[in-house]
Amino acid sequence: MTFAARPAIQPWRRANKKRIWQIVAASVLPAILTGALVLLTGIDPALATVVVFLPSQLVLASLVGFSAYGRRGLGDAALVVLTIFLSAFVMVLLLSVLYSVLTEGAKAISWQFFSQNNVYVSGTTSLDYGGVGHAIIGSLLVVGITTIVAVPLGISMAIYLTQSQSKIKNLVRTVTQALSGLPSVVSGLFILSIITSGDFLTKSGFAASLALIPLMLPTVARVAEEALKLVPADLRYAALALGAPNYRAFFQVILPAAKSGLITALLLGLARVIGETAPLILTLNTNNGTSLNPFEGAMATLPTYIYSYLSSSFAPSQQRAWGAALVLLIVVAVLFGLARVLGRSKSLKTKPTNKKASK
Amino acid sequence: MSSLSTASTLSSEDISVWFGERQVLSDVNLTFPANKVTALIGPSGCGKSTFLRTLNRMHELIPSAGLSGSVFLDGEDIYGEDFDAVTVRIKIGMVFQKPNPFPTMSIKDNILSGLRLSGRKIGNAEELVETSLRRASIWNEVKDRLNDQAISLSGGQQQRLCIARSLAMDPEVLLMDEPCSALDPGSTRRIEETIKELSSSMTIVIVTHNMQQAQRVSDQTAFFLADDNTPGGVVEFGATEQIFNGPIDQRTNDYVNGHFG
Repeated sequence: MTFAARPAIQPWRRANKKRIWQIVAASVLPAILTGALVLLTGIDPALATVVVFLPSQLVLASLVGFSAYGRRGLGDAALVVLTIFLSAFVMVLLLSVLYSVLTEGAKAISWQFFSQNNVYVSGTTSLDYGGVGHAIIGSLLVVGITTIVAVPLGISMAIYLTQSQSKIKNLVRTVTQALSGLPSVVSGLFILSIITSGDFLTKSGFAASLALIPLMLPTVARVAEEALKLVPADLRYAALALGAPNYRAFFQVILPAAKSGLITALLLGLARVIGETAPLILTLNTNNGTSLNPFEGAMATLPTYIYSYLSSSFAPSQQRAWGAALVLLIVVAVLFGLARVLGRSKSLKTKPTNKKASK
Repeated sequence: MSSLSTASTLSSEDISVWFGERQVLSDVNLTFPANKVTALIGPSGCGKSTFLRTLNRMHELIPSAGLSGSVFLDGEDIYGEDFDAVTVRIKIGMVFQKPNPFPTMSIKDNILSGLRLSGRKIGNAEELVETSLRRASIWNEVKDRLNDQAISLSGGQQQRLCIARSLAMDPEVLLMDEPCSALDPGSTRRIEETIKELSSSMTIVIVTHNMQQAQRVSDQTAFFLADDNTPGGVVEFGATEQIFNGPIDQRTNDYVNGHFG
């Protein structure tokens, strides 16, 4: 049996010819008006956009909407204009940050910027020498240790919060939420006070990880809790009705069903801590050489590297800070991509069987 | 077909159920003889689904739940010291109102999930999958795509897959909670045929709102009713023929003839 080709007609999208000129006018006139005003009077374009363009666009669109559909047309048109304008506003903010980092950072980026450390570099050294290799390794080590501790703990908390019937559950949830409001500098100060109060701990990558754990934990726990809550109770009952003990029902049914949500929890946790600077400044001395030992001595990380070079008065050093910011963005993108690919591989098992049908 | 365990007789004795302070069932005494199909009928909210869940200890998963009385599986109390909930649920399978295949597993893995979840060895996986799917009369529809995700099936197929999943555990008793309420007439008919075939090897208890279905599939019928602000209970219990054609109680007569409920 063959299906007739679907005609590519979407009647609801057909433009109303009577209105098309009104719509074009409402879209173009405010832009022309604003442009002319900027050219003639020389007022700030950003100011003109907010003071002239947005109101005139709103008024015109509302008029067209009103003449077409009455009051409901007015509301619809105003909402469309506002939504598009505000989305564009946010996009411009985000893209301009990204644009600065990309263009400024690109000037510093070269292969040796990734592979070399900073040992023979002074403030005025040309960008042909030295790089952030040591800071990439440092960041990965510090954030790696944080993740290894915080993600299992956070997911365990989420499991406790979703699976147990205990009465102190709500207290635990409230405390977790309060913890997510903890300023990162306070977390750093807390670890610093342990460092200065005795011989338990010295400034090191490990100390920095300890300062980051309380920041990552609540994010992971809360997002993981939401992910586990989304798994229908039906599935748990189905597993239990088949004679599964609670732990097998959890590991074989609930956890796989929540997998992509749990990976989101991991990613949001990573995003929370990978750019943290204040706790690292307090708990870890930065250095210019490569260190692979997180338990002793100084170690550079990308955020502290950016921080120390951005405040320099030499142009090449500031360029290095932009370069390091771009590297940080790249590291985050790579980690996110990796996690998504690893998380997807198993649930994509939908290939049909090649086994011959046995009669 | 590998050797199957035999059907068992299940009976309840003075089962009363509470949710918190509120009693929802009072003194239910029913016997489900081996290889018979028993239908539980009654208006919504009369406690028949709740009663069904006490029979394989799914009831106790609700935090506020309470229970008194006993349920005997071949003479042994499933709430007694010699039984635990997991053992009970392995012997007494359940099919839910809404199809609930495991979405992360293939059709084949869904069938094997019961054995994996209860930590038992899988002898011949291929054979078990085929046997179970055949018994639930869905084999011919899925035999060429056993590795597809279970949620790619239609609602009726999903429900038969869930029946097959229960059958792979080789239960002595199968409890069905309105298994056809979300299905079209064709799927419903096929599941009813499956129920009749299965009764040769197991005891079946089915909750249904469909009077014709109760008449078609069951050997005996229990009519549940909860009067206003009183706990539910069994009004009349007997052969299906008698419940539908010559009920003793006036309320049963009214219900099966569609006068209320």
